Amino acid sequence: MPLARPLLALALAGALLLAAACGDSDDDPGTIILATTTSTHDSGLLEELVPRFEERTGITVKVIAVGTGAALRMAGEGNADAVLVHAPEAEAPYVASGDLVSGRLVMTNDFVIVGPPDDPAAAAAAPDLPAALAAIASGGRFVSRGDDSGTHKKELALWVAAGLDPARLTREETGQGMGATLTIASERGAYTLTDRATYLALRDVLDLAVLVEGDATLLNAYRIHVVNPDKHEGVAGEQAEAFAAFLLEPETQALIGRFRAEEFGRSLFTPAVQIPVGGG
Amino acid sequence: MEARFDRVQFAYGDQPVVDVPELRFAAGRVTALLGPNGSGKSTLLRLLAGLERPRAGRVLLGEEPATAARASVAYAFQEAVFLSGTLRANLDLALRLRGLPPPERRARLAEAATACGVAHLLDRPANRLSGGEAQRANLARTLSLRAPLTLLDEPLAGFDERGRAQMLEELPALLRRFAGTTVLVTHDRDEALRLAEDLVLLREGRVRAAGPRREVFGSPPDPETAAFLGYTLIPTDAGLAGVAPGGLRPGPGEFMLTLHVEEIVDLVTSVEVVGRAHGERIAVAFPPDFPLPAPREQVTVSAPTEMVVSFTEPAPKRLTAPPARP
Amino acid sequence: MEAIWDGLVEAFRLIGTGDGELFSIAGRSLLVSGSATALAMLVGVPLGYLLGRARFPARTLILAAVGTGMGMPPVVAGLVIWLLLVRSGPFGGFELIYTKQAMIIAQFLIATPLVIAFTAASIQALPARLPDLLAVLGAGKLRTLWLLAREARLGLLAAVMAGFGAVVSEVGASMAVGGNLVGDTRVLTTAIVTETSRADTERAIAYGLVLLAMAFAIVAVLTVVQQRSPR
Repeated sequence: MPLARPLLALALAGALLLAAACGDSDDDPGTIILATTTSTHDSGLLEELVPRFEERTGITVKVIAVGTGAALRMAGEGNADAVLVHAPEAEAPYVASGDLVSGRLVMTNDFVIVGPPDDPAAAAAAPDLPAALAAIASGGRFVSRGDDSGTHKKELALWVAAGLDPARLTREETGQGMGATLTIASERGAYTLTDRATYLALRDVLDLAVLVEGDATLLNAYRIHVVNPDKHEGVAGEQAEAFAAFLLEPETQALIGRFRAEEFGRSLFTPAVQIPVGGG
Repeated sequence: MEARFDRVQFAYGDQPVVDVPELRFAAGRVTALLGPNGSGKSTLLRLLAGLERPRAGRVLLGEEPATAARASVAYAFQEAVFLSGTLRANLDLALRLRGLPPPERRARLAEAATACGVAHLLDRPANRLSGGEAQRANLARTLSLRAPLTLLDEPLAGFDERGRAQMLEELPALLRRFAGTTVLVTHDRDEALRLAEDLVLLREGRVRAAGPRREVFGSPPDPETAAFLGYTLIPTDAGLAGVAPGGLRPGPGEFMLTLHVEEIVDLVTSVEVVGRAHGERIAVAFPPDFPLPAPREQVTVSAPTEMVVSFTEPAPKRLTAPPARP
Repeated sequence: MEAIWDGLVEAFRLIGTGDGELFSIAGRSLLVSGSATALAMLVGVPLGYLLGRARFPARTLILAAVGTGMGMPPVVAGLVIWLLLVRSGPFGGFELIYTKQAMIIAQFLIATPLVIAFTAASIQALPARLPDLLAVLGAGKLRTLWLLAREARLGLLAAVMAGFGAVVSEVGASMAVGGNLVGDTRVLTTAIVTETSRADTERAIAYGLVLLAMAFAIVAVLTVVQQRSPR
């Protein structure tokens, strides 16, 4: 007797809560789902930008952090309103099919190859990127994201460009996000490809150094695309467009440029729009 | 309260269990349902309690169908089942479910518990009582209801031998005091004869005999029933005869048999002479002062005619003359 | 070792200073998982009662299905609910994906088989004649159900504990259908994932400690009730 009554109360409360919670969310300015990469999410950038946008417009942005591949697929099925991704080759078919519209560059940073500070494969000494990759392939261990993310796609493209077949290399795939993959590489004394932002954010807890950087092919470009509302029912095209526009506003761009720059001594992301001197 | 079965049929699934065209339990009397395991005794009790609905016919308590008259019934299952909590709480719950006010509940609870000898157990957890204690508690719960119809399923199961003997002595007085019409189920003939005024004999879901116990016991309708009642069945020249338990004595008499002695069984307080008559193996109790035969000897044993029934076709009837010579 | 120590110190500081984010996330965990468990009880207890009491042909099959459901990884439940609720899915129109409601639904799916199984087991453990006894004593249908539930209360408590314990600590489904949105659907487990991938070990540990403390507190309360109740 002392027990069943609270149980019943709990059950009723739960039912009421669910019923009540289902009833809200009308006449608000709207909600968009932004599918994005784990790297933008793990760096914390969006958590800085999104609240500003929400405060100004009243539009709620649901940031879903998945790999670039999954983000694009969500967009292709109309399960997201906008995507912020960094895999141009993977984006192209969606743009061509009309699923994604009004794509534009938001920011860039660069990919770097990190590895054990003592560099057992002597990748840092290689004359160029293909040579560095060949050195790692023959003399080191490499840990790959293996999660169909933008970084993963980039890595595969780099092996191919260096004349190596990734399927025949002894790589280990983590299937996890950038942060987890960096940690695994650090623990195993292995090399990996990472975006600089995530690496910098985690640098202190990693036993990894930047060994290869600066090659033109290592540019990492983040684009925002709006999901075509004419092609997918239920897509909040207007709101998504507003968010895309917000990202390119000078003020936002300045914010991107400054994001955690003090902390790391350099910018994590380079804004796409040139900021006038003194701007921001 | 009178209870009766009116063309009642009942089955579990496709298995017919009970088929009772007519049966009355007279108001105020104690009736024993007697029969072997699986004869449908407990099913009859469940029908009376309204726990089962007959497939055909009616089970009536007074004028009401049993399923609508549960408040008139108190039922003690064979296994004592209690809810968690003390025995007092269990007894009280039963009275509370009858809608009795607290003072009356307290009075009835104390009275029944004392009468059944469980007053000292009232504050013990009911589920931790020993077998005999639990049965007495079960009885106390049932009797405290003072229901117009009291149903007891094997009320002496679960007792050890001493407890059973004691309960057998106490129960008639308890029933007189607390119970109105009573129907009890037992598979034990002695129990039935000690506790009940009326007997209903059941076999395979059918009533074989019903009525005052002396009548039913004195004229079993068929050999199987007779055997169940403890009759000794003897195939004679004049047909199958049954001798009531204790009917056979050594020496000549009205219904005489020649016993080919095979074995002497000394039971200390009495002696049983076991042998064959008309090919049937028979045991006869010999009084202590009677000279005992030796194995392979022949002795004459007999029974008075009023203790012998004949099952000669067409209908069983009482024998009026000795069917066999010595 | 040092990282663990620092993590613990910082974790206790966050808890001690009443860190707002920590407590709002913990509250959200409690709300989501508590609601899911309550709903699971609402549905699972009657079903478990039926499975424990009634005998019908498909019963064994259903019990086997329930057993399988108990072993189902939460992330699978998450995937199923995600496919159903996502905009292109059959129930996309309700716009429930990436909401607390979606998380409650997914956790409900995880907790319900547990509740059913524990309830069925506890009902089956009752004396077989108990319903008959209550019927002959004159208890009505509701009263009978109530008294049986009271008899089975230890098993029902186990059902609550098992259900709540499973959903409050699962991460896969919450991540998939909740989306781990800051201030909205981020609960303790998904927050731990986030903070771990951001290498904010201190916060991750703090969340982990709160999660443990919460699970402990609830299980402790229920265990005390369980031990105190007379048999």
